[in-house]
Parts: sequence; C-alpha cells; structure tokens
Amino acid sequence: MAALLRGLRAGRTLRGLSSGKTGPTSRVVAAPSAVNPQCSNLNRGFHRAALRLQDESKSDKPPSSSSSSSSSSTTYHEHYQATEHDTAAEASQHDSASDPAAEQPERPNTSYQDQSGEHGEEYETEEQLQSRILTAALEFVPLHGWSMEAIAAGAETLGLSSASTGMFYNGAGDLVLHFIAHCNSQLTEILAEQHKQVQLGQAEPKKTADFLREAVETRLRMYIPYIETWPQAMSILLLPHNIPDSLKHLSSMVDDIWYYAGDRSTDVSGSSLNVRPTTSQMNWYTKRAVLTGIYNTTELVMLQDSSPDFQDTWSFLDNRIQDVVNMASSAKQVQSTGEAVVQGLMGAAVTLKNLTGLNQRR
Amino acid sequence: MSAAAHTAFCGWSQVVSPAMIRQCLKCRVPVLQQSTRAYSIFPTPLDSEEKEMLHRIVRVDHAGEYGANRIYAGQMAVLGRSKSGPLIQEMWDQEKKHLQKFNEILSENRVRPTALLPLWNIAGFALGASTALLGKEGAMACTVAVEESISEHYNSQIRALMEKDPERYTELLQVIKEFRDDEMEHHDTGLEHDAEMVPGYWLMKNVIQLGCKAAIYVSQRI
Repeated sequence: MAALLRGLRAGRTLRGLSSGKTGPTSRVVAAPSAVNPQCSNLNRGFHRAALRLQDESKSDKPPSSSSSSSSSSTTYHEHYQATEHDTAAEASQHDSASDPAAEQPERPNTSYQDQSGEHGEEYETEEQLQSRILTAALEFVPLHGWSMEAIAAGAETLGLSSASTGMFYNGAGDLVLHFIAHCNSQLTEILAEQHKQVQLGQAEPKKTADFLREAVETRLRMYIPYIETWPQAMSILLLPHNIPDSLKHLSSMVDDIWYYAGDRSTDVSGSSLNVRPTTSQMNWYTKRAVLTGIYNTTELVMLQDSSPDFQDTWSFLDNRIQDVVNMASSAKQVQSTGEAVVQGLMGAAVTLKNLTGLNQRR
Repeated sequence: MSAAAHTAFCGWSQVVSPAMIRQCLKCRVPVLQQSTRAYSIFPTPLDSEEKEMLHRIVRVDHAGEYGANRIYAGQMAVLGRSKSGPLIQEMWDQEKKHLQKFNEILSENRVRPTALLPLWNIAGFALGASTALLGKEGAMACTVAVEESISEHYNSQIRALMEKDPERYTELLQVIKEFRDDEMEHHDTGLEHDAEMVPGYWLMKNVIQLGCKAAIYVSQRI
C-alpha cells in the first residue's frame, strides 16, 4: 500500500517534469534512466505485482473490459508499469502464465478506468498485497519453515519492510492456508482444462476411479517441494482456530474433484440421481466423505514415504480407491441379492395364499 | 491475432468459472456467467449472500418435493389397490416430475442437498402410510395439510424473490409458480375427495402443518 502511494507520487512528479502528454494520471513518459533507485525498486515490486495479479486475476478476471475493480486494478498495474518501463511489460508477458494478448485489449481502456480503478483498488489491494507477500514467502519455507520468518523474508523480496508481517494476525496459519488455497485453485484449473478437453471431444473421458486417482495424485504432488516441512504445516492446520478454514478448503476441494469426476449429470435426464430415491442424495455425502478419507490417509502416508518419487504413496492410493470401488460394487450386489430374495419371498407368499385359498375375494 | 486470443480467453474463463466462483466469493467482484447454455434457471450469484439465499431455496424445495414423493409412496403402499389408487398415483406422478426438476437444478448448480434426506425419506413414508391407514379420508386430509403448507412456503419464496429483483429471477420464479399451482391443485383435489370427513381433521391438519414448518426450517440450514 505504501509502495503504491510512493509510486503514484513518483509518477506524478515525473509527469510534471515531462512536457509531453497530459493524459490520465498514470501515463508516464519519463525514461527509466531518470528514475531514482527507489523507483526502480518499486518497478521490480510492481513487476512482480503484475505477475501475481495476472496469476490471480486469471481466476477472477472477466473477459470483457468492464469496469470491475479487479480488472481495473490489474490493468492499472499493467498499464502503469508498462509505461514506466517498456521492457518490464514484455518481460511480464513472457514470464506470466496468463494470456499476453489479454493485455492489449485492456490497455486502450485503462484511461477510462483509472479514476474508478483507483477507488476500487484500495479495497482489493490489501488482500492482493497479502497474497503477494505470502506467495513470495513460499520460497523461503524450505529454509525457515512455515513461520513468520518466512513471511518476513518474503515481504523483503517484494521491497517491503519485514514489519509488514504485522498485518498477518494468524501468522504461519495464514501462510499455510494461502498455500492450500493456491493448490486448490491450481487443481481446479487443471480439472477444468481436462473437462474442457473432454467436452471438445479432444480427450477420452476417464473412468471414475482413474479420474479420482489422478486428481488426488496431482494435488498431492503439489506438496512435494515442501514435503520436509509439511508435518509442521499439518500441525498448524490442526490448531483450533485454523480448523474451520482448513475444513472449508478440504471440503471445497473434494466437492470440486467430484464435480469434475461427473458427480452430476450434464445431460437432462439426471439418471444417476433419480433412480433410487432412497439412497441417491445420500450418495452426495458418502462420496465426499469417502474421498476425504482417502485424501487424508494418503497425505499421511506421503509424509513418511521415502521411496523414489513416492511410489509407495501412489500404490497406497491405488489400493484405497480399489477398496472403495470394490465396496461399492459389493454393496450393489448385496442390494440386488436382497431384492431378489424379497421377490422370491413375496412369490412364495402369494403361492401359499393361492394354495390355501386365502387369496380369494368375494 | 489478439482478437482470436481474446476470444480464446473468453472461452477459457467461461469454462473455468464454475469453480472459480468459489475462489472469488470473498470479494464483491461480479462473477462470470456460470453456464454456457443460453437458458439457465438459476442466475449466477453475485456474492456470497445471494448464493446462500438461492442455495437455501433450492435445498429446501428439493427436500420438500422429496418428502412429498415419499408421502405419496406411503399412501400408495396402503391404498394403492383401492378405489382412490389411481387418483393418488396421478398426484404422485406430478410430484415425481417436480422432484426431477429440482434434482436437475440442484446438481447443475452444485447445491448441497440437505443432510436430513434419509430422515425425510422415513418420516414421509411413515406419515403417508399411517394417514392412509385411516382410510381414504385420512389420506386426503394428509394431502390437504401438506399441500397447504407447501403452497404457503412457495408463496413466501415467491414474495421474497419478487421483493429482491423479479427480473433477475424470472426463470426460477416461473418454476416455483408453476409448482405452486400444481400443489394448490392437489390441495383442492384433496378437499373435493372428502378430506374434511376424517375424524380429528382439525387436529391432524395442524399437527402435520406444524411438522412441515419444522421440516422446512431445519432443511434450509442443515
């Protein structure tokens, strides 16, 4: 936040120096060489801000250049650092994962959005600033563990003072929850992309068991860089004040996985949900509970797995999913056997009634 | 090239958005169009309050139709072979259609069904069967009581949605109104077929309606 204000002031003074354009406030003409060292630090910070914001705004950026605050704050940053530092814009296009061409349609519009963008930005920037710091702090986790030191080190790489850790009341919990949310959103992107491929007919739909296995494996592989310190992170998540949040993340991840595994019908008939009114909707809960159990146990196995590339963990996962599949099919068998038995009994009863003449009416 | 990339970006975000909505529900940023279909019953929630309200509506309506289904099943189990069998069967078929519709809405919009569904399964069947044991009049009285509370409930939902923003919820309102009319029809049918003749009609009706109100309250939340 302070960095932004400094940047704004620097921009304005530079604009006063230049004789050229009198456009909107953020259009700065001064060459980078005239910028003082503080500003270059800011440039680096804003460059990274653009990266983070582009990463995040990929998730909530509307396609059209409407004046929603997130897109305007993104474009404000993009535009600001694009005009401040030409090569930075190109570097961000190369470095960031998001669509570079999306910047171009946005850029001509920023002149209209700046005024409204600045107001909306105040609200958005604090959360985004926090997530920027936390994302930067992730690099230091192998060194400092999941702790305030890592957050302080992350804040320093962004050019902020390490005292800015004061805004994280939950400390290490914030860092772990941020990382979990980040992993979940990555997983959702991957699943959505696969789903799109299947919808477009470019890929074969997978069987449910395979889909679940791959989804859980993909998600757990995101922990591999941090596996040394992961026990510490898990214990942080088990602290009472973190439990509601961690449960929320876990349940939304499991719901997402089932959603993309096809646990609702996209066709109109609603076949899987309508057939048996007695058990169909309880499946919603049991499926999610089962997957939660599989995920948690596999995570625990992964913590003390020392095999190459965690092969033991993945075979554990395979076995668990196979168990579930077996249990589901044997449940079905029991049910159909039960039904057959009941029908047999009914038939026997009717035969008896016919034989004894009890079935006669009138 | 930039236009094509821009369109590709649009397509990407339209597919990604159903799950991304979860991520950005904290901030009050307008979310993307959830479904790529042209016709969608459920408007995309703008923020978490609206999402909560819409999910509650769908959850409790789904539970209500599910319960009504089981009540008719119970009645049919007892009275299925009697004279009023076809009548009850016809009303049951309409309820099945309602349930199917809500199943679709529930699953497409990723609404969590109420966890008490097994309870409504048993309770509904028990209510239908026990009132049917009192004869045809008992079954009809149960129908009248239940349909009356369901209609009242739908009416209050319609009022709530109309107060907020009738245009936004047009399709949803249409669905609810249509179902409410069907339920009123069942209510009138019940009255026509001597519902009031059952002994203890007043008591039975009030007890059942009280139970329905409790069920509605609980299903919205749990």
